[in-house]
Amino acid sequence: MVTPGSIEASIRAGIACEYCEVSGDGQHFEAIIVSAQFRGLTRLKQHQLVFAALGDRMRSEIHALSMRTLAPEEWSA
Amino acid sequence: MSVQEKIHQTVTGNPVVLYMKGTPQFPQCGFSATVVQIMKLCGVQNYVSVNVLADPEVREGIKQYGNWPTIPQLYVSGDLVGGCDIVREMFQTGELQKLLEQVSTATSSPPA
Repeated sequence: MVTPGSIEASIRAGIACEYCEVSGDGQHFEAIIVSAQFRGLTRLKQHQLVFAALGDRMRSEIHALSMRTLAPEEWSA
Repeated sequence: MSVQEKIHQTVTGNPVVLYMKGTPQFPQCGFSATVVQIMKLCGVQNYVSVNVLADPEVREGIKQYGNWPTIPQLYVSGDLVGGCDIVREMFQTGELQKLLEQVSTATSSPPA
């Protein structure tokens, strides 16, 4: 079974996160990710970065991941 | 024609295309249903929807095409707008309505 913690670990391994929190029930997950790497990127590109960090796990293990991606400035605002 | 070519033809040949699970009448996934609902709220009626459950090749192919691993995927003017989260966020800020208004003048022809 996929745990929120393992998803968080994969995201943190691929992206330098200031903050990352994943919750979910094993099928559907929600993530809040704050990273300086998101600066200047569209939401589309931000989400693509997260998907890239998760790689094949998105294909095989994770049915759905809802996410909020934020640059540090947006987070503190 | 390869699947990638077929997808390219669909998204570039139609102003608004939604790749989804099920149909707008009978969505088979909550995320697809949400985007269908948002399209309705935006007053977009003549968009093209593609049911990926009906074609395994398209289901996999669209993930590569959009560099996006999940369904639904909304395309406007040939560009991937995003999945459910982004579509919902853009709807809430009004960005989506603006984008769809821009193409709505060109959407007089029925889907091919």
